[in-house]
Formats: sequence, C-alpha cells, structure tokens
Amino acid sequence: MKAADFSYHEAVNLQDAIKIKAQDDEAVILAGGQSLLPALNMRLSSPTCLIDISKISGLNEIKIDGQTLFIGALATHSDVMNNKTVKDNMPCMIDILKMVAHPAIRNKGTHGGSIAYGDPAAELPALAVATNAEIIVSGQNGERSINAKEFYLGLFETAINQDEIVVGIKYPLLKQGQKIVFDEVCRRHGDYAMAGLIANVMGSKNDIKDLKLVFFATGDKPDVADKTARLYLDNGYDYDKLKNSLSSEIDFAGDLNSSSEMKLHLATVLIKKVLSKLEN
Amino acid sequence: MAANNSVNISFTVNGERFNNVNVPSRQHLADYLRSQGFTGTHLGCEQGACGACTIEMDGKAVRSCLVLASQANGTNLKTVEGFDDEMMEKVKQNFLKHNAFQCGFCSPGMLMTTKEILLNKKKLTRDEIRSEISGNYCRCTGYQSIVDAIEECINEIN
Repeated sequence: MKAADFSYHEAVNLQDAIKIKAQDDEAVILAGGQSLLPALNMRLSSPTCLIDISKISGLNEIKIDGQTLFIGALATHSDVMNNKTVKDNMPCMIDILKMVAHPAIRNKGTHGGSIAYGDPAAELPALAVATNAEIIVSGQNGERSINAKEFYLGLFETAINQDEIVVGIKYPLLKQGQKIVFDEVCRRHGDYAMAGLIANVMGSKNDIKDLKLVFFATGDKPDVADKTARLYLDNGYDYDKLKNSLSSEIDFAGDLNSSSEMKLHLATVLIKKVLSKLEN
Repeated sequence: MAANNSVNISFTVNGERFNNVNVPSRQHLADYLRSQGFTGTHLGCEQGACGACTIEMDGKAVRSCLVLASQANGTNLKTVEGFDDEMMEKVKQNFLKHNAFQCGFCSPGMLMTTKEILLNKKKLTRDEIRSEISGNYCRCTGYQSIVDAIEECINEIN
C-alpha cells in the first residue's frame, strides 16, 4: 500500500505543465489525486513522473459562458456543490456529486480530474456525455474542444494527446422542458456504482419527446443506449424487450461485485427507476 | 527518469512550523506525519476508503493517505493532537458520554469529520449524519453511539 518511486514536479503554470508532459510520455497529471493516489498506493499504476497542477491559479473558475456552464478543471467537487452559479443553473450537478465518494474526498477531488481520468464507473464522465458537454484541453498548439462522446475511447482511455491537459468543461444549459434524472445502485453510499444511469429527457413523465440514456459502471466507458431509448419511447417499459436491447447495445463488463448479467439486470431496472422520477 | 525523487517543503502542523524539510516524492502525508510523531493520524486502508487518516488541510477535511507529503507544501495542517479548542473539547465529552470511542481506531477520523459537520452549521437529521460520516468506517460501535454523540453536538452548538 505504498506507491512506487516517481519524480515529482510542481508546475508553476499551465505552460510549464504542458512542457513537462510533452517531454515525458510516461508523465501523469496530479490534480486532486483522489483516484490517482489509490491507484499508486495499490501499485495499479506506477508512472515515472507526476506533474502536480493543483497549485496553478485560475483553473478553478466556475461561470456562465454563453449558453454553457463552464467548470474549471481544478474546481473541487465541494467547490462545485457550494457554488451559487451551479445551484441556479444546473442543480442536478449538485445532486449527482452527492453520489461521488464522501465529503473529505470531495474536498480534494477535482472536476477536471474525474473527467480526464475516465473511470467507467464515475458519474461525471456519464453526465458530460448525457448533456453533450465539451471538454476543453490545452496543449502546445493551444486550446481545443472535444465533444464528451468523442472524448471517451475505452477503459481509462481518452482523446487527450500526450502534450494536453484538461482545463475545463462546458455543459450546455438546460432548455425549457429539459430534465436530467439519474440513479445508481451501489453497495454503500459513496462507493463506485455497480450500475448507474443518467437520462437526459425532453418533456414530462407521460409525454417524453426526446430521451437520451447514458449508463455508467456497465462497460469500459460511458455507454450511450440510443436504440434502447427509442424502444422505450415506442413501447414504454417492457423489462424483457429493454433487457434484450441493452444486451445488444452495450458490452457489459462484470467486476468483483457484480457479474455482467447482474449489471444488465440492474441497468434495465434503472430505466424504470430513473424515469419514474420525472414529474407529470 | 532521474531527479526530484525527493522534495523540500514547508508547512505548519498544529501551529508548529516545519521549514524546508526533505520528503520522498512517493511518501503520502499520513506516513510523513506519523514519522514526525503525529501518530494520532491512523492508517487503515491507504486507499481512501476507511477515513481513519482524515486530517484538516487549510480548514478542510482531507484523507492524508490520498495526499502526497510534497503536496502539503505551503499548507496549514491540523491533526487530532491539535484539537484543543472549546468546541472540540465539547465534542470529545459528548463522544465519551455516548460511548462513541471504543477501540479508538476510527476516532481521529470521526472527530475530524464531526468538526467539519459542526463548522458547516447545518441542522442535520440522523440519516443526514449517517450520510456525512459514510466515509468513516467504525467496526465496533455499529455507528449508533457515534450518531448519538454527533447529534448532541449539533444540538448544543446550533
């Protein structure tokens, strides 16, 4: 339970961090460290070099930017949960973050870190995909924006280039009649989910006009289930049909706590549970 | 990759200044604190699950096993040894009264989490208290007595 040896650089600014990262293809960015340090302590990961970006100023801004809510990469989960702009414009974000670990971990864990780490069982990557968010990354050639769905490529694998660092996330503001509803099943409050669902809904409970279903803790990245969403819109909740559809659309990957068959069952049941939270 | 496998850092623990001390890059803060005699910071899982190593960093509760010692550069830390103010005396008395200390392993983390609950000055239900301490494992009490103690602290302070 002790990390292997590595060198440590405290980046003085973003350019400094980008420069070091570009030079060493085994260098890893350390922000809040709440996912990285357990991985280091358990030696699931042993990078040669950590670049600590946590003291770079100006990367924790939270603001409205045009029709989007911008959250700076270094804003901690606690910062986001206690922010008035978030509360006024995207209250679902606060409720989703309540499911992320525990208060002491949320005090240190960062928004950009969770997005960039790309844990398939994490809530924020699924929220980014469900809301069609843009991930802003900065590298040697300046900034670029990557759509969340194209950002996640596989297990802990993202579209970030070696010289790039996530600097913020832009979530489109919700339109009139649009709702984000979600739930997850886990063994203990704050644990990683055995299966979770974030639904982006246009309309009301009995009159859903548009539906996007994004599952997490099911496969190797946030899983979008468009075919299953259409099936729900056409036929309503039919356990067997939806289960069949999900099993053809998502490559369920079992883990220590739950088999792929169990995850498929939980994902199917979650559709009913989550959509029943909509108001009439 | 050579160089920088140790770092010089400065910080404060319970008001005591540590200037320019050399720490290995890979050492986490809990190990460093314990090596300096702050053994009230307990280590259970070293992966952020048990909460026994919770300390205060710049006024916020954090897991000291999930912070590198090098990341403590420039910060102000408080460990359970530094709990000597009036509020924490009351908390300790309530924990004693309700038998919320048993083997004591989880206690430093529980006290730290209780402090953060009290500083937020929110009136919490018993369910909400359970949710707040969900990141701290206790294997003795069944949590009932700890919730009792925290509930009394909240009632006294608010």
